[in-house]
Amino acid sequence: MENIIEVKNLSKTFGNKIALKNVSFNVKRGETFGFLGPSGSGKTTTIKMLTSQLLQTTGEIKVFNQPLKKQKDASFMKRIGILTDNSGLYDRLTVLDNLTLYSELYNVERKQINEILEVVNLQNETKTQVKKLSKGMKQRVTLARAMLHKPELLFLDEPTSALDPVNMKHIHDGLRELNKQGTTIFLTTHNMMEAEQICDRVAFLHQGEIKQLDTPQNLRIQYMDESVTLLLKDNRSIVVNKDEKGAEEIYQYMRSGEVVSIHSNEPTLGEIFVQITGRELA
Amino acid sequence: MTFSLKRVNAIFMKDYKDLLKNSYVLFTIALPIFYSMLLSKISDDDPTMTLFPINLALIITGAFIQAAIVAEEKEKNTLRGLLLSPASTLEILVGKSALTAVVTLIVILVSVKISGLEMLSIPFSALLIALSLIFYLALGTMLGLLSRTVMETSIIGMPFLLLFGMMSMFKPMFENELILNAIGYLPNEQFAVAWVTLSESGQIGDIVGELIVLTLWALAAVVITVITYGKRRFD
Ligand SMILES: Nc1ncnc2c1ncn2[C@@H]1O[C@H](COP(=O)(O)OP(=O)(O)OP(=O)(O)O)[C@@H](O)[C@H]1O
Ligand SMILES: [Mg+2]
Repeated sequence: MENIIEVKNLSKTFGNKIALKNVSFNVKRGETFGFLGPSGSGKTTTIKMLTSQLLQTTGEIKVFNQPLKKQKDASFMKRIGILTDNSGLYDRLTVLDNLTLYSELYNVERKQINEILEVVNLQNETKTQVKKLSKGMKQRVTLARAMLHKPELLFLDEPTSALDPVNMKHIHDGLRELNKQGTTIFLTTHNMMEAEQICDRVAFLHQGEIKQLDTPQNLRIQYMDESVTLLLKDNRSIVVNKDEKGAEEIYQYMRSGEVVSIHSNEPTLGEIFVQITGRELA
Repeated sequence: MTFSLKRVNAIFMKDYKDLLKNSYVLFTIALPIFYSMLLSKISDDDPTMTLFPINLALIITGAFIQAAIVAEEKEKNTLRGLLLSPASTLEILVGKSALTAVVTLIVILVSVKISGLEMLSIPFSALLIALSLIFYLALGTMLGLLSRTVMETSIIGMPFLLLFGMMSMFKPMFENELILNAIGYLPNEQFAVAWVTLSESGQIGDIVGELIVLTLWALAAVVITVITYGKRRFD
């Protein structure tokens, strides 16, 4: 599969503070790629450099097989969508007026506005002034704005940080749908559930370095622990190792008909993150 | 660099809808009109004072309102959205100036009407006002870009208000020829002299000097603003 983003030895320092250290990765066309890391790990800094809002200190960035241009390039901007960590809206204007501006800037048909409002579950708020919306609703409007023109490549900096589980799921469904229609998604999050649910691959970012990069599935297998958990009829749960002795134990419990269920002990991405970095995510 | 009228118009329409709900800006627009009501009672021999209503409209509406709406885009983090859209620098700067330009022209017309100031022929007044307007809009845009919040525009803008708005009033306080000469080169002074000269002689040839100076002011302001934009837009 063709690479849509190629990053080689990317570093960024602010004064003498190192925000990003020698980071390399590729994003394939069509995938949803996640940057998972705690606050201050360099997620926003990376997105800013990938979208030419910030110049890297050293390293190479290629998007759509081309180095980023110094000058603003309208045709490039048309192909990407960006949700920044502080995307603002015109709060005296209505939701519809806000999106209408962007439909014209991107030369998108008006009817796409309604489509996208359904994706973010705001079809009933078109005439509402933005300042009267809740925080999560505002985030959904900015998200709608970033997706409005169905870009080839969508950058999302913590797209669901202010959302409740119901709306988060709604947005995730919308992102999956957009992804199915061909949009490559690069997103950052410190929510490991989010990474697990919608990312094809995730990179663990810690103190400006990528510590791990793989599919959530492979990461779980790689860090799977050598035991399974049995749930017994008397509500006890016991952990047994996957060895000969464990097999004997399981056999005994099964024989006596006490076993309700057996689970392999796959760690969550959050637990793997702690294992690798010694640090919690949030 | 692209230039799409559709995108400029989109920004203009957005600003227009916003203006109708922006009480701070609406109140500020009323200021020069209110002043010209007061000033209509005073007559003066100094051309700059006679033309004060127009100058006030230019600096308050053309520069300060422009500064406020540009600064608000920074304060509310909406400028970034425009910058990250396909709109070019030129489209954004023209789009962001279009509404202020229209409003300033309306305020000038109303102020002129109220203060009883004599209008020049349309081509002459249009030429002088257009040149000045470019200067004040660029000045306002620059002030807006330098400020982080709407509030800050009045602080950062204060020296400019004194220089380009009030300096002429302080003329009687100065005796130094050099200073008085320098004040004479300010855009409002040049504008006033050109206006009065034209209304007396009607000959464009008589104001070539003023036209050159006004053009230089406008050019300098545009260049400085574009440079500021390059440096400050993502702050
Ligand atoms: N403009 C700046 N000037 C100085 N330091 C900066 C600047 N921007 C970011 N940094 C530093 O770079 C590091 C990475 O910041 P960044 O914003 O990329 O983190 P993040 O992963 O996005 O965090 P969060 O989850 O809180 O958004 C931080 O230590 C931050 O203090
Ligand atoms: Mg961030």
